[in-house]
Amino acid sequence: MKITSSVRGAAAVTVALALALTACSKDSTGGGGAAPASGGNANGAIGVDLPRADSDFWNAYARYIPAKAKELGVNLAGTTNSQNEIQNVISNMDSLVTQGAKSLLIAPQDTGAIGPKLDEMASKGIPVVSVDTRPDTGKVYMVVRADNRAYGQKACEFLGQQLGGKGKVVEFQGALSSINGRDRSEAFKECMTQKFPGIKVFEEPTEWDGGKAQAALETRLSTDPDIKGIYMQAGGVFLDPTLQLLKQRGRLVPPNDPKHIVIVSNDGIPQEFDAIRKGEIDATVSQPADAYAQYGLYWCKQAMAGVTPKAGPSDHGSKIIQLPNGFEDQLPAPLVTKDNVDDKALWGNAGA
Amino acid sequence: MSDTTETEAAVQAPDVRRPSTRLKLAKLRDLALIPPIIALLIYGYTLKPDLFLTKTYLVDTVLKYQTELALVVLAEALVLIVGKFDLSLESVVGIAPAVAIFMTVGNTTAFGAPWPPWTVLPVCLVFGALIGAFNGLLIVKFRLSAFIVTLAMLIALRGLQLAIVGGATISNLANRLPTIDYLGSLRFLTLPLSIWIVIICFAVGIVVLGYTRVGRSLYAVGGNPAAARAAGIRVERVVWITLIVAGVLASFAGLMLSARLGSVAANQGNGMIFTVFAAAVIGGISLDGGKGSLFGALTGVLLLGLIQNVLTLAQVKADQIQAVNGLVILVALVLARLTSGKAQD
Repeated sequence: MKITSSVRGAAAVTVALALALTACSKDSTGGGGAAPASGGNANGAIGVDLPRADSDFWNAYARYIPAKAKELGVNLAGTTNSQNEIQNVISNMDSLVTQGAKSLLIAPQDTGAIGPKLDEMASKGIPVVSVDTRPDTGKVYMVVRADNRAYGQKACEFLGQQLGGKGKVVEFQGALSSINGRDRSEAFKECMTQKFPGIKVFEEPTEWDGGKAQAALETRLSTDPDIKGIYMQAGGVFLDPTLQLLKQRGRLVPPNDPKHIVIVSNDGIPQEFDAIRKGEIDATVSQPADAYAQYGLYWCKQAMAGVTPKAGPSDHGSKIIQLPNGFEDQLPAPLVTKDNVDDKALWGNAGA
Repeated sequence: MSDTTETEAAVQAPDVRRPSTRLKLAKLRDLALIPPIIALLIYGYTLKPDLFLTKTYLVDTVLKYQTELALVVLAEALVLIVGKFDLSLESVVGIAPAVAIFMTVGNTTAFGAPWPPWTVLPVCLVFGALIGAFNGLLIVKFRLSAFIVTLAMLIALRGLQLAIVGGATISNLANRLPTIDYLGSLRFLTLPLSIWIVIICFAVGIVVLGYTRVGRSLYAVGGNPAAARAAGIRVERVVWITLIVAGVLASFAGLMLSARLGSVAANQGNGMIFTVFAAAVIGGISLDGGKGSLFGALTGVLLLGLIQNVLTLAQVKADQIQAVNGLVILVALVLARLTSGKAQD
């Protein structure tokens, strides 16, 4: 991993530098100095860094960014992609500011390493909004995320009720190095031990790798054929491998069959909705890609207008809480089952 | 290292002229991993006595999941034996099936797409061959370092795949491409098709490398290219063909992986090359070229697969599994060293 990632990093830095250079020449008339945002420049441009290009969820988010920017009437200074590398996030932030961004919308997947850069941006007067993850340290204007602990909890409650509080459950854990995977795992475990002590959970570490999850499930189904439920922490990577295996083992049966395995997923992508409609899986928690883009940009706009957020309920059905290093807008993440899978308000149905 | 290569070449030289007539499946060095494998089997048996040593369990939960790795290790072993590197194989595992499947079911009309489903296998293999040929062009004709060329190709191909599929996972293959589904689910004589493919590929590889002029020339080229050239071997051609064969094997492995997972993830194969090198080197393939056997490489794959499975069975905690995994590999190496009594290099 090391060799490739550092070389990739180097390549990305080169590209970022090239971008920054061209941007410099173009923007020479556009006011180069970093004007403090408190001046109330609500029409300043927003720089967006996307965390990765190889996940369905983040690609959906990437597609929502320009659309929502238009809706909100904000300008984008540029869009970069950090390929899941924290050093790229940091260099991209500089590059975006050079391109004229007056505020930044980022999604740092490593929440520990971003801190110093956030403080540096704060000292330059560039407000930063972080979607999906909450930086451990460093000043952020706003964190926009659905509560990942709620995913684990909702999945646990749904499984617990469906199974009547007993049976065996396999859990595909994401990577423990990511805060989102960790939050889901911890909340799921806490809820299971407290509310459903009769359920035995097999925790399978997968590093978000569908192949590893499939191998672990096959092993588990061999040793414990009476597995009754599966919790997968991301539909995008685990859905197809799981369904493929269950089909081969003759366990992909409708919910009314006693051999049915109850499956709860996280993400809310269209493929999961199709599987719910077909009765192959039972539920998913919809992680709001559209709302991430919309309120991420919204808070960037607010920040540039000089608005100070307040803790409490927001005007868009979410809750804002105060953090030691900023605020967090906790967006709701609805549980999707057969009953509400056709709801047009779910982004997975938008055909984006 | 030069002294090893020289002595190796000296040892190899007579072999080239006089291939052994007796069918010898494995030398002592190739059996070095057998003791740790047995130790793991015993440990697995103590964890699940009623199940672990049954054929169903070993075939369906251990072997089936190592088939793609085995093919890529075979490819890498050939390239290493001939004295080169191919890091780009892990990206071939992703891009070859992605391109072939994208052209049949993807959202595109380029080049007369959608192509009929039967094209998937040939297109995938041809694409893998083309990548191997391109690597060969840069390495053999332009005389660039194989390590750097294939490292650049690893990055470029991964990026190209993302660009072609738009970063999306091509999903639900089982229903959209039944032919691919067969590759993942068909069985012959109770064994999955993928296992047969691996058995056949390795059998062919072992016979070719051990008992044919072409195969022996791989060792000669890897051991000492200058001596090989002096002996009348067309060194460039051997290297080039090896790289093409490796590309084809890796693309086939990619298609098998896609068939098993029912999807082509946008990052399919990402990070796989480290496991591939681990398996090959643990199995006795020398990074210096000219040394090692395919049977040894296969035992390396088996060992890693068993470790993975036993760790799952033992329910090692997520935050400890990587550390334990590395530790077990080290212990296995020490065990192999102690039992075979031969120095590793």
